[in-house]
Amino acid sequence: MAATASALSLPVSRREKGEEERQLVQLAQSGEEAAFEELIRRHQQRVFGLVSGILRRREDVEDVVQQVFLKVFVSLKRFDQRAAFSTWLYKISVNECWDYLRKKKVRPLVYEADLSEEQVSRLDGVVSADQPPASSSDRAEARDLLERMMEKLPEQDRELLVLKEVEGFSVQELAEILDLNVNTVKVRLFRARARLMDVYKRRLHSKPAGSAGPAEGKEG
Amino acid sequence: MNYAACPQYEAALEDQLQGTLRGAEAASLAEHLETCKGCRAALEDAALSARLLAIAEPAPDPGAGFSRIVMARIRQQVQSNEGKSIWRPVVSVAWRFAATAAFALVMLVSFDLGRQSQSRSDQSIVAENRVPEIAPDRPSLPANRDEVILMMADTSHGKQ
Repeated sequence: MAATASALSLPVSRREKGEEERQLVQLAQSGEEAAFEELIRRHQQRVFGLVSGILRRREDVEDVVQQVFLKVFVSLKRFDQRAAFSTWLYKISVNECWDYLRKKKVRPLVYEADLSEEQVSRLDGVVSADQPPASSSDRAEARDLLERMMEKLPEQDRELLVLKEVEGFSVQELAEILDLNVNTVKVRLFRARARLMDVYKRRLHSKPAGSAGPAEGKEG
Repeated sequence: MNYAACPQYEAALEDQLQGTLRGAEAASLAEHLETCKGCRAALEDAALSARLLAIAEPAPDPGAGFSRIVMARIRQQVQSNEGKSIWRPVVSVAWRFAATAAFALVMLVSFDLGRQSQSRSDQSIVAENRVPEIAPDRPSLPANRDEVILMMADTSHGKQ
């Protein structure tokens, strides 16, 4: 317990953060529950973001996140610290999400009704204003409209955009988590943006009913 | 409006959007953007997408109690695994024994059934193929004294 306390009391400057985390992982590997709990506390927010970024509005996000930490705890002794703990944790999270989607055979959420012209022009107003809406109800509506547009995108595009732009994962992190080349992540992100804007413009410049899906991009 | 960014510049365009493009690559892209309408439009759209996505909110913090909930679940799981591990070898042996016994029983029953059906079929084959010449009917008993004498005469006939 004293060892844990000393690890927890280490200064948290960026340079020493990595070393501190290594110590916490070692303590957790030796069976120190307090160290593992501290690791959960440090990463729960990002794992939550990652899982909800992939599963979207699923009610099972919390359950999946718990399952992730359970798996991490079980296989922690096999973790050799060659990669960063966070990268390893996020990879387990992504795999758990895909397992969940596969087992449950979950299909992406689909909104039956498309956006109305009024809603589209309101969303356009939000984007043009270059700042988020003032009232919380307007913000909630804008988020809902964005969510509907995102549902029109391929799942991979949605995941990347949410993880990068909403949950704040870096391109490097995404490459490590998704086992992709950094350049591939950049190209996919750029194309996902293009497809999102394509969906947006279709709704902005044409009647909402009978709109087609997102444009297919070319990918090398 | 549809546009097409040049595929070889897409990664650099994403870097440009993130503000991480430096040095020769930045100069090369800047030069390209002066002449490529498609890439310029794509970059403008990408910037607009970032503004659009800024509306979204990240997942809420699960709260301070979450780590305690997870630890409780982990302890519960570990305990249930330990409980299982004490009986696991016994249960495993019992299952193997039961499986072997069931297999042996099935073999015995099927062997017995097979034997019964075999003997039944043998009997029916014999019954079907019975030839009167080979297995003649048992001779009937003599009814009176004359017949006895006749039988005795018959049996002693070939011996002389």
